[in-house]
Amino acid sequence: MRTRAEANRQLWAILGFAVAVVALSLVLRNRYYELVLTQVLLWAVLSLAWNLLSGYSGYFSFGHAVFWGLGSYTVALGMIHLDLTPWITIPFCAIVGALAGALIGYPTFRLRGHYFALAMLAYPLAILYVFQWLGYQEVALPMKRESPILYMQFEDQRVYIALALGLLVAALLISLWVENSRFGMALLAIKQNEPAAEAAGIDTWRWKMLALMLSGALAAVAGGLYGVVLLVVTPETVFGMLVSAQALILALFGGVGSLWGPVIGAMVLVPLAEGLNAELGDVLPGIQGVVYGVAIIAIILLAPEGVYWRVLDRLSRRAPSASEPPRAGAAVVTSPAPRPAINVARPLALAGTGGDLLVLRDITLSFGGLRALDGVDLVVPAGGLYGIIGPNGAGKTTLFNVINGFLAPDRGAISFAGQSITGLRPSQVCRRGIGRTFQVVRAFPRMTVLENVIVGAYVGAADDATARRMALTALDRVGLGGRADTLAGGLTTRELRLMELARALAPQPRLVLLDETLAGLGHEDLDGILGVIRQVRADGITILIIEHTMHAMVQLVDHFTVLDHGRLIAAGRPDDIVRDPSVIEAYLGKKWVDRMALTAQ
Amino acid sequence: MTKHPTRRGVTAGLALGTLAIPGLGIAAARAQAKPIKIALIAPLSGPWARQGQLMRMGAEMALEEINQKGGIQKLGGAKLELVVADAGDSTEKAKNAAQRLLSQEPDLVGGTGAWLSSFTLSVTEVTERAQLPWLTLSYSDAITNRGFKFVFQTSPTADHQAAETIPTVLKLAEAATGKRPKTIGIIQDNTASPVSFGKQLRDGGLDKAGLKAVVDQVFTPPLSDATPLVDKVRSAKPDFLMLLTSAMPDCKLILEKLDEFKLGKGKIPLIGNGAPFGSPELLKTIGPELLEGLLFSVADWPMKGQEEFIERFKKRTGEPWLTQDSLTAYGDVWIFKEALERAGAADKLKVAEAIRGLNLTEGPAAACFPGPIKFDEKGRRVDVPMIFAQWQKGVPITVYPTDRAQAEPFWLKA
Repeated sequence: MRTRAEANRQLWAILGFAVAVVALSLVLRNRYYELVLTQVLLWAVLSLAWNLLSGYSGYFSFGHAVFWGLGSYTVALGMIHLDLTPWITIPFCAIVGALAGALIGYPTFRLRGHYFALAMLAYPLAILYVFQWLGYQEVALPMKRESPILYMQFEDQRVYIALALGLLVAALLISLWVENSRFGMALLAIKQNEPAAEAAGIDTWRWKMLALMLSGALAAVAGGLYGVVLLVVTPETVFGMLVSAQALILALFGGVGSLWGPVIGAMVLVPLAEGLNAELGDVLPGIQGVVYGVAIIAIILLAPEGVYWRVLDRLSRRAPSASEPPRAGAAVVTSPAPRPAINVARPLALAGTGGDLLVLRDITLSFGGLRALDGVDLVVPAGGLYGIIGPNGAGKTTLFNVINGFLAPDRGAISFAGQSITGLRPSQVCRRGIGRTFQVVRAFPRMTVLENVIVGAYVGAADDATARRMALTALDRVGLGGRADTLAGGLTTRELRLMELARALAPQPRLVLLDETLAGLGHEDLDGILGVIRQVRADGITILIIEHTMHAMVQLVDHFTVLDHGRLIAAGRPDDIVRDPSVIEAYLGKKWVDRMALTAQ
Repeated sequence: MTKHPTRRGVTAGLALGTLAIPGLGIAAARAQAKPIKIALIAPLSGPWARQGQLMRMGAEMALEEINQKGGIQKLGGAKLELVVADAGDSTEKAKNAAQRLLSQEPDLVGGTGAWLSSFTLSVTEVTERAQLPWLTLSYSDAITNRGFKFVFQTSPTADHQAAETIPTVLKLAEAATGKRPKTIGIIQDNTASPVSFGKQLRDGGLDKAGLKAVVDQVFTPPLSDATPLVDKVRSAKPDFLMLLTSAMPDCKLILEKLDEFKLGKGKIPLIGNGAPFGSPELLKTIGPELLEGLLFSVADWPMKGQEEFIERFKKRTGEPWLTQDSLTAYGDVWIFKEALERAGAADKLKVAEAIRGLNLTEGPAAACFPGPIKFDEKGRRVDVPMIFAQWQKGVPITVYPTDRAQAEPFWLKA
């Protein structure tokens, strides 16, 4: 998330860009250049629309032509069959695009990564045949001689530039707003680690759908105007592979996930392709494609992340960067800079109020033939510090995944604070007040520590400022206050674990699930974290912790539950549990039980 | 599709054109003899590059001949100059090409080309607004259905072709066999021109001809296997089969499958539509045996009376025979020459007016097209007969209309 000053700077940049385009359109005085400029702006809008989904959320779409084409056909068919002016149909394209986005997103967001990209590829290809089948091979927008302006038919091409520019500015403002709101943060979190985002309370499904719908709406509106500019709509030109590829290539060239990347891409590549076509097309037919291809390959080799990021990296390398993660991180953390005193908000449930906070009844879950959880009953009273131990493969993490909603149990019920949470999605579970950390830390490496925690805070915050304040509080609680602006990618294992803990604590949950938070830490690191966990508990938050090794746990928890092969084999106070023969057997085998018995005698 | 641009002709034409510009010493004469520019917009790159090259060959040949014979007499022997732009592979590129030519060449008096009808549609959106007379061989009805005043279609429109083709086929069949066909099979793809052709047949065209469609199959290119289509033909045994395909690989698959099912070599007479059915590439991929006897209707094809011109073209370009693309581009340039002579000025509005008033029945321009060069108020030619060509011993030869046929048609009997 950017600061307000940065956002303001971007607003000025957008204004400056718009003024420059207007100035350019006034000096061109050549209908051909005006036409090309219009196309540059329209392709930039399509690429920005693509970027809104794919750049920010990481869900690559190879099929944005579907929205573009639907927009073009909405305008063309509306004019032919219903005599509707583009002044009406182009805004209506937004609805068409959003609706198409919803229809496409609903089945397609079940897929991830390459599968999503490939599935998206299918939509424009399929719809292309539909439009051919419907008999819309060549649709020409009728020329309106009587009332051209009413039908968006201007003698002066610069009006089209103005319209396209207006659309582009709108697309830039929307992108800027997305970047600077929890919408953008959510998408960024999804891009970097979707399960973590979901567990941090982000309703990933909703944000992804919104992103696709917004993206589809923008692309369709641009496609509608494109139809008006081109006047002839054919399935191949608007649904073709080249349209989807154009959206992608322009953004990749300019810089994926950036506000200006798609614009840079369009400003460079569209005139380049057209210029090559014009200059070489009749001399060496076909060579224009070769030159264009070489230019793209060169960029991919020289600036793999796109021109925008490359330039930005160059500039920031020259100026000493503040966001460079300091390597000697430990020194910073041991003496966290004192922050202005913020009232540490008390969690909703106060310690020792009694009652059972989390109740699991007969939780059973099988993966094929493997019964991962087998009739687990567990009651966690409010305010307690509960430990779950068990050997590798005992089902501990699976149990957490069932509690926080990653997995739905085959049988059994979970209730939290008296309400059933069985079958809820992770973000909904998080919303009810259950936070969690992961065995393998799931950070958002390209976001700062503070941003990582803000993502978690959104669940409990009404607005972005509150989320920020809550995140800072949480960071102070775990002692990472001084590292707020460091990129998460530069943290040590211990800091990562603390950051994840802060993320879980930020929305002020009533219960946190800690999944092997102590694993892989040295003695000194261990003590620090144990201190933090105790403090959290003292603040009244109920803690359920999984641990593989027993020794740290014995010092920490006040109640143990032991899992083995998905079954609960023992429960009780730590002192009793370590002597329980069934526990020893589970961990060490039968032989050790006998030996223990002998020693005891 | 293969791309073999013949460069010799191109360079020769350009060289002649540029040589012709200087020369006249008198200032007044020079002002008059300023070259007159005509545009050619055609796909020179992408999947239709070959067609664009063929058009260019024809246009340049006409230009060269006109200039050699003294240019435009009414304009002090002014020479013609061809300005070429690549329509590429999309309507966007085609439109850009048109807009660019108009911006950079303000003194154009007319133009021809665009080839694919969707390209022509978008190119003429630009030329119409600039009031530039435009000739085109594209035959989509939409091109001249928009109320445009500066677009002239030298080919009969798609609907007209569809309406003309079937009755003529019946006539040819009856003349050859003494029996009028009663049933027809249709196999078509769902691209623009086969769709409009097929629509005409189904919306009354067949009923009017007293034909019953016993096979009616539409497929989406590319075809992966022609067996299901041809299987239907085998069981229904239509009196003849109308093949409406636009891509060569699909056509090849169908022809081979027909042969495999023993329906080829005239067991079921085949009728096609459009110039691609007579292209040298078809011969190369399919071979003369499978093509023998295939009859196709086409807007324009080499006819009797053009022998000398055809020989010159073959010699100049190395092409095995003349096709529609080169022939109409050649003819279009000659139409401009005639119009310029009548207009008496290198002015696009006057040239357009002159084209509207043309009624040519002889001369080099008229020789290139069946029927007179005369346009109605929509910009369509009037009284245009369909041409039929037939593959005979590995060459597609014009067999109808009889007065301009180069050979007798034969009807392969079932």
